[in-house]
Amino acid sequence: MTSERNGCRARRSFLRRVIAGGAAWCAAPYVISPAALGNAGRSAPSERITIGFIGLGSHGIGHNLRSFLRQNDAEPVILCDVDTRQIEAAVHTVRQQRGESFDCATTRDWREVIAREDVDAVMISTGDQWHGPMSVGAIQAGKDVMCEKPTLSIAEGRIVADLVRRYGTVFQTATEDRSIPVYHRMAELVRNGRIGRLERIFCQLPGGPGNAGDPRPQPVPAELDWDMWLGPAPWAPYRQGLHPYHWRWHRDYSGGQLTDWGAHQLDTVQWANDTEHSGPVEVEGSGRRHENGLYDTFFEYHLVYRYADGVELRVDSGGTGLRFEGSDGWVGNDGWVRPLQASSDAILASVIGPEEISLFTEPRGEHRNFLDCVKSRRDPYFPAEIGHRCSTLSHLGNIAMELGRKLRWDPVTEAFDRDDTANRMRSRSQREPWSNLGGVKPLG
Amino acid sequence: MVARIVGGIVFLIAGLLIGGGVAAADEALDRAFEVLATYDWGSERAPLQALDRAVVGAHGDQQAARHLENRLVEALEAATTRAAKDYLCRQLSLVGSAACVPAVAGLLADEELSHMARYALQRIPAPAAAAALREAVSQLEGNLQIGVIHSLGVRRDAESAGALIELLDAADQQVAAAAAAALGQIANPAAREALAEFQQRAPAALQLAAADAYLACAERLLADGQRTQAVAIYRTLATAEQPAPIRLAATRGMLAATRQSD
Repeated sequence: MTSERNGCRARRSFLRRVIAGGAAWCAAPYVISPAALGNAGRSAPSERITIGFIGLGSHGIGHNLRSFLRQNDAEPVILCDVDTRQIEAAVHTVRQQRGESFDCATTRDWREVIAREDVDAVMISTGDQWHGPMSVGAIQAGKDVMCEKPTLSIAEGRIVADLVRRYGTVFQTATEDRSIPVYHRMAELVRNGRIGRLERIFCQLPGGPGNAGDPRPQPVPAELDWDMWLGPAPWAPYRQGLHPYHWRWHRDYSGGQLTDWGAHQLDTVQWANDTEHSGPVEVEGSGRRHENGLYDTFFEYHLVYRYADGVELRVDSGGTGLRFEGSDGWVGNDGWVRPLQASSDAILASVIGPEEISLFTEPRGEHRNFLDCVKSRRDPYFPAEIGHRCSTLSHLGNIAMELGRKLRWDPVTEAFDRDDTANRMRSRSQREPWSNLGGVKPLG
Repeated sequence: MVARIVGGIVFLIAGLLIGGGVAAADEALDRAFEVLATYDWGSERAPLQALDRAVVGAHGDQQAARHLENRLVEALEAATTRAAKDYLCRQLSLVGSAACVPAVAGLLADEELSHMARYALQRIPAPAAAAALREAVSQLEGNLQIGVIHSLGVRRDAESAGALIELLDAADQQVAAAAAAALGQIANPAAREALAEFQQRAPAALQLAAADAYLACAERLLADGQRTQAVAIYRTLATAEQPAPIRLAATRGMLAATRQSD
């Protein structure tokens, strides 16, 4: 059986190979957190992974905190947000689930979370501007990381992916798509040639927002640490329309629906196209932004990407849906988690045989997958490198629309071909002291 | 004959339209620069779109780019609001060259604008931009200095290695940690040598930062095909004296080096 585990490198297997090698340096012990070893006065890993939650907005609580609370072996240790109202909501949620007497520390400073020795892993659910620096800080503090998608820039994604590789961190890019049967099935059918040679991919993502937001500065609410909310982003006054949730419509904090939803549907694109460690070689497109107001990401967009093997990817705003067209048929669906459709019943009924490509999935979701991987030291189903490549696809689209010209991209060197301006846009400087090359200012 | 007349008329109309379009674009650009004089947070962005378009449109046209850059510099020097300077630094980050460096570098010591100055200087490929950051790094302190150190690291500015090596002994440990990280990115022989020595004597609070930077050097060497030198660093860091995460990382690095030689 050709079983692809999506880069799920078994680190114990790695150790066996290392020890078998017999070199002196191979004697270095396999490092696992104290809790994972069952010492430090805590439970063994099979029973509990201690988690610090950073970012407690609607998704941080409603999806991530609640999902982890449903796992018996997940233990919330500390809850962190720059807004005390969100901390209170999270405490309420934890106590609803674990009992009113459940004790959980709280803080507005994420550095307190990664400084705690009793935290095995962090769940980062902040605005995109914080994803890179917090991930870097947590990895360097020896934590495993589950971080919301997407990255803020191509360069930040590369830094995090390299650091994960350096330290053998278990890193999950937080999306559910690879656990959803219809997307897994879609990708497996394409990868196993059920539609023949893949030729074209159509991907629809939501547009919006319809309103432009109010750009006028407002007084900072007493409950909010605005400077910490901004973090590495350029300084700007508080505007009511950013926090909570709507920061994703501003380029300083995100890339709009193209990055926000692209991290979902474009992951299936890359998965099915077998380009999850690579990317396209060409991109062009156009989009529309609000002329005034607060929000400045593209609310409407139309993009065409081309891969090295000639596969064409079209991304359009206006809903959700996927369609893979090949030389012998097509598969897809017409909305988020909608049933699978295909050009023939034979494709729909097709069985993936034992000798065929079997893509890794975890139907119980990304949180369960992460906890299992923290214990097994395997890569989760959406690790940093694949998450970075997926986010890159969206960033390429935004850069192409911003520049209004066709761009050629080298997925190996991760650079544009002969376009200095586009190459400049691969990275953004971070506001001091939140640099993310290891110089993140520690607590105290 | 008729065809020639029609062709001439079409040519004339097209010329007028294009000329009119150019004039309108110029007018809109002038208006954008006017607006910047009083631009502030909450102002309408629409009038600035002409400038956004001009920056993008300057691609491949050196003369247009330099002309626009000069106007942006003039506007930066005349701007009175933080929001206007913020906007202008962003535009210079895309179209700026050595010509804008003096004006932008003048903001590096400004608490409010230092980051936006780096926003531009970090992206501008001209050596003058790196030189300005190098000049500033030893004149600043605290967070502003950390920011400049970071930008030099991102640029992998080899010429700043000497100044950064001196900062490994800075009294402010955050500055020293940032310097180590930047040297890890630069990873030239001087940086490697300094980090080899520093990771042996770094105070406890900086041990991980020093070792992490040294690991980054090894990765750079490996990526450049200098496997023997990379392995030498990994061997140094795989010893029992190192913190466990560093030992493991070094071991993983050696495995990667072994794979590379296969």
